[in-house]
Amino acid sequence: MIFKLNDKFEKTFIVSDTVYEGFMETFKDTNALHTDEKFAKQNGFKGKVMHGNILNGFLSYFVGQCLPQKQVIIHAQEIQFKNQVYLNDELHFEATTTGIYESVKAIEFKFTFKNKALKVIAKGQIQIGLLI
Amino acid sequence: MKISTLLKKVNNIFIDILENEDVVLTYATTACDIEDWDSLNHIQLIVAIEKEFKARFTSQEILSWNNLGEMLECLIFKIP
Repeated sequence: MIFKLNDKFEKTFIVSDTVYEGFMETFKDTNALHTDEKFAKQNGFKGKVMHGNILNGFLSYFVGQCLPQKQVIIHAQEIQFKNQVYLNDELHFEATTTGIYESVKAIEFKFTFKNKALKVIAKGQIQIGLLI
Repeated sequence: MKISTLLKKVNNIFIDILENEDVVLTYATTACDIEDWDSLNHIQLIVAIEKEFKARFTSQEILSWNNLGEMLECLIFKIP
């Protein structure tokens, strides 16, 4: 088994203009909270709030590109959003292997995204399957 | 733990994973008897059972079971 309990994986992601525009272009969620600075501020935020589900794209990248085995598939995923992400925020992603189920070739990770102020932006868990 | 108690606990896991309150397991139940017990749910069921009972199966054990009763007999000896 290539994975071991408590293995740690880290990666830095930036919610850049390209990511933000690409997400909106693809999914058409142009809610004012995500697009209108004034509206976002009137509702108590520092500025336009980035779509929480952009983080799910980063999770997809983690599973598909950052693991030592490429033959993987996502079985299940759960995420809780704790704080807002703003444009150009740099996010520190950390995942830890918390479960290994060799009988069904499944691996579970717990993960967090933190911003530069080390505030937890989101946390959750993800279960993947190994295809070989 | 009695095997009947184990059956009830595993039944609750099936209800949760399959999101079907009507699931009633017996020792003779097989995947063919339960509509949503497909390959992906099978993985989720095994993971949930292993987690709940802090037990680990091998793939050979899983392949050897002919029905739920055989799974429970295997599980009962693994519960710490």
